[in-house]
Formats: sequence, C-alpha cells, structure tokens
Amino acid sequence: MRVHLPALDHGFMDPAPVQYTIRIHGHLGATVLSAFPALVPQHHGADTVLTGLLDRSALYGVLAEVEALGLELVEIRQLMPEGRSPESGDSRSP
Amino acid sequence: MDRTKPRLIGRGDLLAALDRAVAKKVTIISAPAGSGKTSLLRAWADRPGQPYRLAVMQVQRDQHDAQQFWLALLSAVRQASAPTSRTEPPAATPDFNGRAMVDRVLSELADLRGLLILVIDDLHELISPDALAQLTRLLTNLPGDAHAVLATRRDLPLHLQQLRLAGELAEIRAADLRFSERETRELLDASGVALSDAGAALLHQRTEGWAAGLRLAVISLAGHPDPELFVAEFSGSDRTVAEYLIAEMLERQPDDIKDLLLRTSVLDRVNGELADLLTGRQGSERILLALEDANAFVVSLDPERTWFRYHHLFADLLRLELRRALPAEVPGLHRRAADWLIQHGHIADAIRHTQAAGDWPGAARLLADHSFSLTMDGQAQTVRALLRAFPPGAPADNPELALIRAGLNLARGRLDEAAAHLAVAESHAETTPPDRQRRLRVAIASLKLSLATRRGHLASVTEQAKFLDSPVTGQSDEDIALDNDLRAVALMNLGTVEASLALADAERHLREGAVLARENGRPYLEVRCLAQLAFASRVRPFATTRRRCQEAIALAERHGWGLEPWIAPALITLAANLVWTGEFGEGERWLQRTERALQTDTGPDIRLLVHIVSGMLQAGRGRRHEALREFSAAEHLGSQLADSHALASQVTGWLLATQARVGLPGEARASLAALDDERAGSGEVGNARAVICLAEGDPAAALATVTDVLGGAAPVIGYVTLVETYLLAGLAHRELGDQRAAHQAAERALGLAEPDRLVLPFVMTGSGELLEALPRHETAHAALLADVRDVMRGSSLAAKDQSSSPPAEELSPTELRVLGYLPTNLSRPEIASELSLSVNTVNTHVRNIYAKLHARDRSSAVQRARELRLLSAGLTR
Repeated sequence: MRVHLPALDHGFMDPAPVQYTIRIHGHLGATVLSAFPALVPQHHGADTVLTGLLDRSALYGVLAEVEALGLELVEIRQLMPEGRSPESGDSRSP
Repeated sequence: MDRTKPRLIGRGDLLAALDRAVAKKVTIISAPAGSGKTSLLRAWADRPGQPYRLAVMQVQRDQHDAQQFWLALLSAVRQASAPTSRTEPPAATPDFNGRAMVDRVLSELADLRGLLILVIDDLHELISPDALAQLTRLLTNLPGDAHAVLATRRDLPLHLQQLRLAGELAEIRAADLRFSERETRELLDASGVALSDAGAALLHQRTEGWAAGLRLAVISLAGHPDPELFVAEFSGSDRTVAEYLIAEMLERQPDDIKDLLLRTSVLDRVNGELADLLTGRQGSERILLALEDANAFVVSLDPERTWFRYHHLFADLLRLELRRALPAEVPGLHRRAADWLIQHGHIADAIRHTQAAGDWPGAARLLADHSFSLTMDGQAQTVRALLRAFPPGAPADNPELALIRAGLNLARGRLDEAAAHLAVAESHAETTPPDRQRRLRVAIASLKLSLATRRGHLASVTEQAKFLDSPVTGQSDEDIALDNDLRAVALMNLGTVEASLALADAERHLREGAVLARENGRPYLEVRCLAQLAFASRVRPFATTRRRCQEAIALAERHGWGLEPWIAPALITLAANLVWTGEFGEGERWLQRTERALQTDTGPDIRLLVHIVSGMLQAGRGRRHEALREFSAAEHLGSQLADSHALASQVTGWLLATQARVGLPGEARASLAALDDERAGSGEVGNARAVICLAEGDPAAALATVTDVLGGAAPVIGYVTLVETYLLAGLAHRELGDQRAAHQAAERALGLAEPDRLVLPFVMTGSGELLEALPRHETAHAALLADVRDVMRGSSLAAKDQSSSPPAEELSPTELRVLGYLPTNLSRPEIASELSLSVNTVNTHVRNIYAKLHARDRSSAVQRARELRLLSAGLTR
C-alpha cells in the first residue's frame, strides 16, 4: 500500500479529527499497543482493531508506526459520527 | 571482515535473481521491514569472488538533510573508486546546491573505468523531497558503466518511468524475498535446530516466510529443549509474529544481556562505552560482539567493530518494551546518552536525546550554542528538524530559539520573517539567564548584520558591526570559538557591503575575515571573504585584481566549490577584468561560468554585475543593441538595491551613451533630464552627455561637458572614466577641426590606459579613426595602440597560451623596450632614434629577442610576445 509522506501531501487543511478503525492482522500485545496510545484495541477474530480519533497527520503517523513494526495492515475505515462508515460506492458492504 | 561462524544461509536463487536484476540500470528492492533486504545485499556484496565494484551507503534514520545524504553518497562513490586514498571527505557548506551536487556525482561516476554499482539501503529514511528529486535525476542520467541498487521499505516517489519504458528498471519485491519452505529448512539446519519436516512447515506457515520472523524464531529455537513444542505454541498463538518472538527471545536471555538490549535501544548507534554507561555495568562490548556473531539483529558499523546498531524493527520493539517495563528509567537514559554524546562531539544526536528526555530548556540551550556551528558545517536542515521537534509553545518566548529561527529564515532569503523573529529575540532577551546574555547579544548583533547586508543598508551594517570593536572575552573555549565564528561572519558581511559601496575599509575587513576564518577552520567563510576581496580589489591595478580573483577561485576549486554562487564575485570580477583589456573570448568564458554558478538566484546585487559585464562585452564586439539591453537590465536591478551602489553612475552613463549611439539621442536626453542631481553630476554621466551632444552634431557642447569633467568638477568612479573622457574630447576636437588638440587628447587617453592595458574604452567610444590619425612618430604608446587596432579589427587578443613553452631566457629591460616597438611599423633606425641607441645596438637586441622567443621574423616575434603578455612589461613604470 502506498503511503504518502506528510511533507508531500498537497491536500487542503483537514478541518477536524475523524474516527478511524484500523484493522491489523494478529493480536497486538501490550508492547506493540504502547506504540498506539491514542487508539483503543479490540480483538476481532485473529485480528486487532484499533479505534480512535485522528486528524490526518496523526493517521499517517499511525500508518508509519504500523510499517515500522512490521505489522500487517488489513483495513482502514473512516467512521461517521453515528458510528457507521460512509457510503463509499465500492463493492464492500458497510 | 572475517566472520568465523556462518551467519546467513546462501539463498542461491535469490542471489542469482539479484545478479540478473543488476544487469539493468536501476534495481529497486521494495519490501516491508524485516523482509531481509539488508541481509540479501550484504550476502550479495560479501560473497567470495563477487565481480562488482560497489559503492555502498545506508541512509541514516530520519534523514531530513539532503546535503548529509549526498555527502555520504559521494563519500561512498569515492571510497569505491579509490579505496586506498585518504583524501579529505567532501566538505559540507551552509548553502547547498543540490543540482551542482548531482552534477558532481555524475561527473565522478563518468570518470570511473569499469562497472560500478551504487547501493543505497534504507532509502525510505530519506525524508527530503528535494533529495528524492535530485536522486531521480541521478538515476535517470547514470553514465554508461554505473548501475544502482536501492533498498526501501515502501515504494517511493522516484519518477523512473523513463527507465521502466526502456526496460532498464528491475524490481525485487516482498514476495521474492520470502523464504520458501526449503529455505526455511536450510536455515534451521544451518543454525543447528533439530525440527521435523512438519515442524519446519508449520514454522514456515506461521511466519509466512518472513525473514525477520524466521531469524527471531531461530534464535529462540537454537538450544531450546523442545523445539517442536515451541513451534506448536507459536503457531497456536494469535499474537503478531514479531512481538511474540521478541518476547520469547528476551525471556531466554540472561539478565545482563536483556538489560543491555533494552537500555541501549534508546540509541541509534551504540558502542561498548555507551552501553556500559547506560547499564551501569562493564563488559558491554563483549556482549555486543557476541550478539553480532549470533546473528541477533546487531550489526557492526565499522571494520574495527567498535560501533553497532540494531536492526530498526528490532530496536523499535525493544524501545517499546523498555517504555513498558522500565518507564521511569527512560529520561535518565536519554540524559546520560546526551552527556556522553556532547563530550564526544555528536551535537545533533545529543540534542535529540535531551529533547527525548523532556528537558526542553536544556535542549534549547544546546541548540542555541551550537546552531551556528552546525549551520557552518552544512547541517542547517538538521537544525531545522531539531527546532521543529520543540513543542509549539517553546520557541515562541524563548529568545534563543527565536534567533535560530531568524537565522534559518535568513539563509533562505526570507528577510521579513527573519526580522520578525529577530524582534522577538530582542524583546525577550532579558529572560535569558545572565550568564548567557552576552552570547545572545553577540548573536543578535551578528544576525542583524547579516540581515542588513542582504538589504544593502550600510548604516545598519556599520552600526551592528560596532560589536566587533569590543575584544573577544569568552569564558570558555566554546565561547571564544563561537565569538570568532561570529566575528568572521560579521567581517565578511561588513566587507561585502563596503565593497559594494566602494568604501576604503572593505579590503581590510575582508582580509581580516579571511584570516580569521582560516584560523578557525571555516573554509566556506574563507572562500567567501576572498571572493568578495577580489571584487573589492577592482580599484587596484588590474594585475593585482586578477591575481586575487585567481586565488579565490583556486581555493574554491580545491574544495569543489568552483561553481557555487558565493564564488561569483570573484568570477565576475575576473570576467570584467578580461573584457577591459580586450580579451573578449576569455572574458566571455568567465562570464558564462558566472552565469552557471548563479543558477540559484542570489539577488539583484550580483546579477547586476553580470548584466554590466555582458553589456561591456557586447559593446566591445560592436553589438550596440544587445549592449543596450544589458545596461537597461542592470539599471533596473540597481533600482532594487537600498543604497545606491558603487557602479550606479557607470551603468546610467553607459546606458545613456549607448542609447545615443544606436540612434536614440532624444530618448537619452529625456532620461538625462530625469536624473537626480547627484547622478547627473557624475563624471560617467558627464561622458554620456558628451556622447549625446556628439550624436546630435554639437561637438562644441560636447567639448564643454568633457572639459568640466576633466577639470575635476565631476566625481568619477575611477580613472577608467577619464580614459573615456579624453577620447570623447579628442572626438569633439576632431569634429571641430582641431587636429592637434585631438591628437593630444588621444595621447592622454593612451597614457592613462597603458599601465593596465585597457582596450575597451577605445572600442566603446568608437575612437578608431581618431587613433588612425595619430602620426606614427609621435606616439609613445605604440604597443597599446597596436592592441587596440587588433581588437577593433575583430581579432581579439589571444589569452595567455598555457601550452606554449616559455622563452628560453628572460628578456632584459632594454630588450623589452625594443620589443615594445616591434608591433609598430617603425623601422630599426627609427626605433634606434626613439630609444637613443645606435642602430647596431638595436639590431643586436632584435636578434636576441628573436632567439629568446624562438621567432623567425618580426611578426612572429610580436605574436609570441603577445601570447606571453610581454608587451606591456617594458612599459610600466
């Protein structure tokens, strides 16, 4: 997965932090979890789902940490305020 | 590097794949952390009989600094091409020109014979978009025998489509690097792990062939009482591979090793001493060596095996575990590391650790003390990164940090921002502890001086430079060194502004600055001072100026800075010098070199000089319209400078005169009327007025004007203006029919021009016919006259021919005098009477001259004499 370095990010200012869920393969232990203090972990089958409020910089920081620790990223999802994910028009069902 | 134990299995297929890949120009190995990229490269590079010449470098962690990256790369290339030579490592400079650096690397690669492969590991750590762009340019322009291999954790924005389309790009990706089941079994066997086939298959499946996972597993499996159980439990766990295995590995270590691993994980690099310091124990070096031998993710960084680093993934996990297990220890570890690093001169690292310890005031102090030194050492980007690491509030009130920010802005030419931060620094200066007040004030004064220099404000510059008058009274060696650095910079700035305004103290200050810089080991500052000194010397005899230019340029070239913008003052002064003496070809070459050096914009002051000299060159070649364009551009730039620069009246004068000469006297007159009194009253503009009058057919008015100038009523920049004035007088007299006065004026002009051999004024004023009319017996300046005639006829003077052999013997003073007459068409009896010698004596001298110059006749003797620049030698007083 292609990760953009923050310095090259030419997007507009993002207005506010957003809820994200980040699914990692495997159960994260206390050591690795301490790398994601802003996120709440939950086991879902063989995966761990990390949930938290992140602005764009923080999101890419989390992704960089995932890369650095050699973790396997399964999915990232943005949550709407009601807790549902936005209609994205792709084939995955919400 | 001799290793007794086999550390890596030979992954033959993979090595073969890499061999095939490097046949292409660029190979990219792109795979996540722990995939085995570095191991592969190392195995490939170290295998016996490998045929390639390799330049290997590893990008440092979090490398923001493009210059540091390129210097390391250049070092690696040089190391590969000449491994035994102990040349100076390439020097870093505050102004980094990425483009020039890439050019330099390309040219060094082109010079090499035979295949060279550039290997860059950890390229994802390069966090500088500039550097990536520069690297793209390097990769797409690699000369014939140079190839490159890049290893990275993620795909990078290197735009290599060109190479891809040409089939010159190879990729090795994660899937290629995965261990196969067979390779897993080989690894287990090589590590002496007894595991069943089923167990090996399970291990392979659980780790998915991930190299780091396998290596970690092997560490725990080696010597494990029940390998099958270990694998079964591992397989049954849902924990992520790395975390599980590292925890297992740590658990199996004796306490002292575990302690060492955890505590030293805060460091980027570790040696025995540092490890002892952090663990409070002895004998760490032995442990580190043993870990490396056991292939436990520790690698040595030098052939002597004194410095080590951990695999990044390993270190990251250890660091997390440290924070979890011994959180209270962490700040202390960072602090102890910082202390050691400072003592051993690793300033930037020490500051990072101080920041990591949470000691922001301490970090601010360190940064303030060393930012100047770091910047002079070319680590401005590092300073910037360190500054960014402070919490947002901290720099706002801290005067020392505000000052650093001001300095960084200034370096980028953001003058207004710099001034704003400077103001903050000043207003908060009292909050600095008393023992640091003096240093802060000196630093503030120095920065104000730099700012004023960029803006061309002489008054501010002089005001700020007053602190130079106070003696250097530092309390520590560091204080003194910093003071000296700041003094050298201040002298350079002061001298620069004074030179641009042609003030007398310029040379003294610049020379002092150069000496101080040399004493302090700051070649960058020394070269800058000398370059400005060359420019300031333009009022000296031309030979002196030429020598100073060449000195400055030679010193710059020795450091590889021949095309850097700050050597431009010397380059352009040399160009001007050559154009003045009619050596247009050579002058043009130096002018072009100046333009190449100024590709990164350096402000109106230096560009103005380029336009002036271009204008002079065009005028010398009779291209008046082009000359007009150049002088107009110079005039426009001059208006952007704060104080009126020294050459302002020259630019205006030539602009108006050229307008008149291309047939626009009306416009010229209008511009003349618009000038302020000071400009209009200068000698240079006076000359222009005369030119306009002549163009309007009013020689009497022209004569009146030049008489004023010659009478001393109008200030002139230098004597070169008067050469023009005399020529214009001569032209006016000629128009008025007074031949004798015309001849006299022409002679005066020749006399003034002779010591420096000025040719340009004659050409610019179009004095051809005036000179032709001179009776040949009555001129004492035959040689110069001949030179001028040559140039006007279009054959520009030959530059000193370096390949020609020097004469067998030096010519005597009398011989030189006779030589001076050879270019004329005076006969030998006429020469004899000129020199009050007998004809026989003259004949003897001429014979000797021919012999010494290896010439067969008069014209070849003259030719040789010109090449060797001997013609003026006999005529200077």
